[in-house]
Amino acid sequence: MRAVFTAVILCLSVFYTYWAFTDLNFLSQMGRLGPGFFPRIIGIGLILACLADLAIELSRRSEPPPRSEYVGTVVLLVVLTGLFVFSLNIVGGVVAMAAFLLVTLTVLNRGRLVQNLAIAILLPTAIYFLFDVWLNAAIPQGIIFERWLS
Amino acid sequence: MELFDNLLLGMSVALTPTNLLLLLVGAMIGMIVGIIPGFGPSAGLAILLPVTFGMDPIGAVVMLAAIYYAAMYGGTITSILLNTPGESSTVASTFDGYPLAKQGRAGPALVMQAVASFVGGTIGVILITLLAPLFSQVTRNFGPPEYFLFAIMGLLLLIVMLGEHRILGVISALIGFALGTVGVDLETGMQRFTFGSAELIGGIEFIPIAIGLFGLGEVFYSFYVGIHQLGTGSIVQYEKEPRFWPEARDFIETRITLVRGSLVGFVIGVLPGAGATIASLVSYTLEKSSSKEPEKFGKGAMAGLVAPEAANNAASAGSMVPLLTLGIPGSAATAVLLAAFLLWGLRPGPLFMGQNPEFAWGLIASMYLGNMGLLVLNIVAIPLFVKIVKMPYRLLAPAVILVCVVGTYSVHASMIETWLMLGAGVVGLFMKLLGFSPAATVLALVLGPLAEEALRQTLTISRGSFAIFIERPASLWILVVTAVILSVAPLMRRYQRVA
Repeated sequence: MRAVFTAVILCLSVFYTYWAFTDLNFLSQMGRLGPGFFPRIIGIGLILACLADLAIELSRRSEPPPRSEYVGTVVLLVVLTGLFVFSLNIVGGVVAMAAFLLVTLTVLNRGRLVQNLAIAILLPTAIYFLFDVWLNAAIPQGIIFERWLS
Repeated sequence: MELFDNLLLGMSVALTPTNLLLLLVGAMIGMIVGIIPGFGPSAGLAILLPVTFGMDPIGAVVMLAAIYYAAMYGGTITSILLNTPGESSTVASTFDGYPLAKQGRAGPALVMQAVASFVGGTIGVILITLLAPLFSQVTRNFGPPEYFLFAIMGLLLLIVMLGEHRILGVISALIGFALGTVGVDLETGMQRFTFGSAELIGGIEFIPIAIGLFGLGEVFYSFYVGIHQLGTGSIVQYEKEPRFWPEARDFIETRITLVRGSLVGFVIGVLPGAGATIASLVSYTLEKSSSKEPEKFGKGAMAGLVAPEAANNAASAGSMVPLLTLGIPGSAATAVLLAAFLLWGLRPGPLFMGQNPEFAWGLIASMYLGNMGLLVLNIVAIPLFVKIVKMPYRLLAPAVILVCVVGTYSVHASMIETWLMLGAGVVGLFMKLLGFSPAATVLALVLGPLAEEALRQTLTISRGSFAIFIERPASLWILVVTAVILSVAPLMRRYQRVA
């Protein structure tokens, strides 16, 4: 698994280094060190480090990460967080927060509907007041509510 | 005399009702951050940084700093009562803290850890008060070569401390450097790796990456390893013990340990890249090796609890020295603090304390008050914190995800940054699983632009010659010190393993 992860980084490093060499100048027009100087060093360093790690990994396989019976839960959590981010601008921050909490807690905290409902209502309300009212920070209104309000 | 005046100025800033309230809030949040297993001060700081944007900069930094050092206090409660460290710097506190609790001495252990944390934190702040102005004076003569070397020194030490995962540390740091090169090159105005995207012209923001790697990544990792299924049934019921307060002999026997642990912790904390975890483990092992009764360690020796506790709190204070006087963070948590400083237009460095005395001394004074407040809070509010310990992780985690997402969005109202944070969270999970270092990535992301600027200036001054690094006395000194520290680092690693 580590070899795959390092190989992905290696591919990205090759792309990064290629870009640094072809698109960014080593020297500026004034003859000073240009925008490509540092990225070239980093790119070459990354490629060498990734190759070294791959060589180590392939010659002496390191211990794989511990197997987990909760991979499904992690994937579900990532997907739910993705849906939450996606829905922010559509249904608005407060509704998206409440929906995310209700769904997530229904999965993680089964059989406690009242507790889950209370958290799903109270926490987004508190966060709304903290960010939007007290700190004047942006919480998305959502396209649906913007249209409805206008 | 000037020192006294500066402290008075700092106290006048810190003692305003708003700043005192923010200090208390920061201390409470820090305690809670410390208590939640797998959730360190870096994550807490990164997630709560956006919350401070609407605040006055001094109050905000006072609160963020309080979160940082209060996490050291909070992490020990679970170490003692549950044998589960709240965060990495309190791992050493489980060695004797939990056995003490099992012997029916949880109350005295909780009080002694609060006292040790207070002594360590306060000695650390006294040393900052005395040494930071001196450091500022010395570093005033530093130029780009010295800044570059200091930035690299911190990263090198962090990587060396990763032990057998060193190569992964190098890759992690280089990823951070690479991310730091995205955006407009400030010297030539040329765009780098922006692929025509207007959102990337300003560069990759630090906050989404830090929140993703530390906050969201930690939550995903905790679920992967099953922390949400851990019960708190084995928690020690300290309320049923006949005696809550420590005996006089506990104080007498550990008085030298308290001072020794604090001094060791502070020195290690000042070193960029070492940090509170290393400090606590080194202090524990030193205490064990210098004890007349080393066989008692690991079986409930009060000195075995006091030594790491004093050290990790002194180290958190010590790590403020390079941050305030050089503008170079030595750890992931201080990197987040530096990001906060920069967001408010403050650039820490040799002139910082002289040019912003209210800010710098207000922060230092607040640390004295914060440690006093935390001592009281740790003893008085133990029942409250035990209730939080008992709160299931499956309820806390969705709330943390919520704050991560909303906090990231609220900074620039940017959906791209929010998606970036989610991506960083997934990458953070894999980094933790496979032995990479998210801390090195975040530190390099902050240090990258500083290091690049310093290196380019250095080579412009020297007309392309790297010999400048050994020709300037200050640079040469830093190189020598770096070499010494790097050769001592494996020894510290050994201490870590032995402990």
